[in-house]
Amino acid sequence: MEKIKLLSRSNFRKNKGTCVGLFLLMMLASMMIGLVLLLFMDAYPTARKEAEKLDAGDGYIWIMNDIKGIDDEYVEELIGKETKDYYKYTCLGYDSISINFGDGTVSPQVLINNKSAFNKAFDRTEVIVEDENVTGKYIYLPYQFYTSGGYEIGDIYELELTGTKYSFTVKGFTDTTYFGCNNDGVYEFVLDDDSYDEIYAKDGEASDSVVIAFKLKEGEKLNSFRIKKLNDILKTNPMAIAVIYKLNDAINGRSFMSLVLATSFLTLTIIIVLVITVMMTNSISNFIKENMQSIGALKAIGYTSSAIRSSLYIMFAFMALLASICGAGLSYALMPIMAKIVVGQMGIPYTVCFNLICSLIPAVVVVIYVLLVSFATTGKVKKIEPIVALREGIENHSFKKNHVRLDRSAFSLNVSLALKNLFNYKKQNIITFFVTGLLVFTCVMGLLMYENFSRNPKVGILTFEICGGTVGFDSSVKEEAMEYLENLDGVSNIRRMISLTLNYNEEDSIRGYIFDDVSKMNNKEVCYKGRLPEFDNEVAVSGKFASDHGLTVGDEVRFDYGNESFTYLITGLIQTCNNSGREGVMNESAAEHLIDFTDAPAYYWFDCDGRDAAAEILDNCSEEYGDHVISSMNFYDTLEGNLTTFRSISALMMILLSIISGIVIMIILYLLIKAFVYNKRKDYGILKALGFTSNALIMQTALSFMPSIILAAIVFSFVSYYIANPYMAMVMRSFGLMKGNFHIPVQGVVIIGVSLVLVAYLFSILQSLRIKKIESYKMLIGE
Amino acid sequence: MDTLIKTNKLCKTFSNGGQMQHVLKNIDLEIYEGDFTIIMGASGAGKSTLLYALSGMDKPTLGDIYFAGTEITKKNTDELASFRKENCGFVFQQVYLVDSMSVLDNVMAAGLLINKNRKEVAARAKEILKSVDIEENMWDKFPTQISGGEAQRVGIARALINDPRLVFADEPTGALNSKTGKDVLDTLTNFNNKGQSIVMVTHDITSARRGNRILYVKDGEIAGECILGKYVHGDEDRHRKLNDFLVSMGW
Repeated sequence: MEKIKLLSRSNFRKNKGTCVGLFLLMMLASMMIGLVLLLFMDAYPTARKEAEKLDAGDGYIWIMNDIKGIDDEYVEELIGKETKDYYKYTCLGYDSISINFGDGTVSPQVLINNKSAFNKAFDRTEVIVEDENVTGKYIYLPYQFYTSGGYEIGDIYELELTGTKYSFTVKGFTDTTYFGCNNDGVYEFVLDDDSYDEIYAKDGEASDSVVIAFKLKEGEKLNSFRIKKLNDILKTNPMAIAVIYKLNDAINGRSFMSLVLATSFLTLTIIIVLVITVMMTNSISNFIKENMQSIGALKAIGYTSSAIRSSLYIMFAFMALLASICGAGLSYALMPIMAKIVVGQMGIPYTVCFNLICSLIPAVVVVIYVLLVSFATTGKVKKIEPIVALREGIENHSFKKNHVRLDRSAFSLNVSLALKNLFNYKKQNIITFFVTGLLVFTCVMGLLMYENFSRNPKVGILTFEICGGTVGFDSSVKEEAMEYLENLDGVSNIRRMISLTLNYNEEDSIRGYIFDDVSKMNNKEVCYKGRLPEFDNEVAVSGKFASDHGLTVGDEVRFDYGNESFTYLITGLIQTCNNSGREGVMNESAAEHLIDFTDAPAYYWFDCDGRDAAAEILDNCSEEYGDHVISSMNFYDTLEGNLTTFRSISALMMILLSIISGIVIMIILYLLIKAFVYNKRKDYGILKALGFTSNALIMQTALSFMPSIILAAIVFSFVSYYIANPYMAMVMRSFGLMKGNFHIPVQGVVIIGVSLVLVAYLFSILQSLRIKKIESYKMLIGE
Repeated sequence: MDTLIKTNKLCKTFSNGGQMQHVLKNIDLEIYEGDFTIIMGASGAGKSTLLYALSGMDKPTLGDIYFAGTEITKKNTDELASFRKENCGFVFQQVYLVDSMSVLDNVMAAGLLINKNRKEVAARAKEILKSVDIEENMWDKFPTQISGGEAQRVGIARALINDPRLVFADEPTGALNSKTGKDVLDTLTNFNNKGQSIVMVTHDITSARRGNRILYVKDGEIAGECILGKYVHGDEDRHRKLNDFLVSMGW
């Protein structure tokens, strides 16, 4: 054992450079695996753990707008049989109002409560942090307002409700399962009792709402419960805005970002690990080749093949272990950056904790993998006869064909010799080709994310319709308000839109967007197959919903709403990332088969020229119609608010992808060129003796890798450009994206390709500088 | 005869584990144009070190070397590389052909360093390969596919393609059997007879007989010199003279 350890140490000392390169690759692999595991196993389950802590139940029912007769008896009759427990309370409810968040605004549903919110029987709302000294008019905001909304305790929070502006001091931040995340579309604000009473006195009649948290009995199916109960509510209160939100939907909404991050990292990790695998195999193989003479000498003095192989196993296993420990450490060091984004999106306190499994798995995977590769590649040591090894007898290259004859080559001497190297070292060049190609692909994916989620956000993917602003009026003024809007300067393309939950077969539902005229929609790109509906028997449904139920364009689909049902023809498939990809669109004339809109409020979507114009229009409506304005949204502000997280994640991904790609390509070129120069050291000695300058040889070496790098950059730029969208569609299918139509700027792809080629070329030159150290005299006399 | 190389107090010292080893000590010598100069000496005497120092492949520790009147000791690595390709040809004991290049390419690679005209270089390479008895059917072969003697003749062709002023040969027959060794020596002798200057290191008397001037290196110094005149096959006097010289040097 002692002699094997001695050999291992000697191997390491002699090959420090290669060992350091391999170590870095192993560490990167371990770090990436560690990060993915932490995201999947530590960050992702946080929302569920928090829900368990808050005793969230199975979901809640929220009824707004029309709550006549919804008393204790009604609720008992409605859900008493199916639930083992429920808890009913009243509060103020607002549907899609514009509230300040981050750099802009968001338009969720808002539930306003007084301090009784902290005394719920279950589905509790808890204070995470507060300042007891804040008194007067104060507000508790969901924790997400702190993590990504930019608010601190003591700040002033402005809130506009039905045309009246209120100002509160932020007293604290709360933790709640259903009402704390932008992605779940609903926030709960807790006010001091006086402020609550003041607002209730003003808005109570219109905004009074009922919330019922529930726990289902064993065996009850939540999905069918949800659909049935919504229908039952609409039967008694047809004008009610009723939602039943499921625990899993709330958790998924909160975990969306950690899932996107983890999935993106998983993809990147697979690519990096693939690259590292190839490189480790190649490097270990080279390592053995470079040490052939030593192996021969050891065999000659009596070392057995197994002793030599064991020494290599020990060295690589030790390196892998050390690298994976460092990698795991690095993943913990980087995790807070990820955690910041994850927490920003979840709105739940989360600190990265040591997770034994997340730390052990990368180490085990990397060590086992390295041992397997070592085992496979050191097999040849067994076959080497000492005398062959002493003559460095293993030859990897076959020079049977002269690919570039100097007497016929059209290129200069240096380029011709570089091309000779290229053909003689095919394996290395093939590796370089695929590694560069995969890195081009990862960078193009980063570019796609940056371009579509940060630089020029692909709004049509994130939201169903694009406009300048929306304003909702109660039914008493809706016709008159429409005329008012039409006459306002700067307002164009007004369309009336209302969204309803339409049930399908008592097993599923979609969020239906009902337009007075679908052809007025700006975001026609939302329909990726077929066409948008035109007639009163037509509907377009989301691709995910259609594929889940085996439906497609031309099929019929029956939707229920309250007591009404109607069968529609599917004219097109649409895609968005909202409502878990379960959405639909139809004309008002089609929806009238299910609902009478006479007494329904009206929500007008309009186009205008920019944020300020939208704000002015909304202000005018507010001034003109006061309390009759039930909701308003400046689309530009809302977009800004919603994009805050997407922007940071896509920028982070872009930066990480570029850095990691750069590092990987440098390590790989380092290992390849180091081995290349080592293998050709004698040739360099000869050529230098003949009169070749170091610079000419450096250029030849660097150039010999360039064709494969340039070819990979060109081929994979094209390939990535064309497969990035289908790939995104595949990855984001679960979020509702069926067909990727993200914009990939050609200039960006060209910049990526050119940059990678330049970085690779410069680094190749830098690495090839080691040729300068080769002295022909020493090489030729065998020193 | 014109002086091709002149050295002045040439010294070369190696440091071995902190211990200084003086391999060449104050050597003053001249190499003349058209000569076939032989450097002989026992193993470790410093003859190869002297050869590589003279060729500009290794830098002396002290002293000056003038090649055709130009001092080469002050040149940097790239200038020395340029000097070598323009003035020197090399023939090594281990041949050192580039394995990844065909026979023709090995010769042409050296030729193209000086002459960029591919056709001219190819024609010259083929001509010189023929002159060293490497026929056309071997030109596309790789060094691993030809014999040691053939490889050494290719090495000589490569050394001569640029018509160097001086060919340095380091034990060119050291790794060959007597038959192929003789062929290589015949080739070198033929070129010398045509006016090619050659400096050859050897410790083999048969090889040394081909030279017209013998320098004997002992303990890093030129211990003696013997002028034999041009090689003539079967000249017994010349053999005797060389033998006597070597005996006097303690060979």
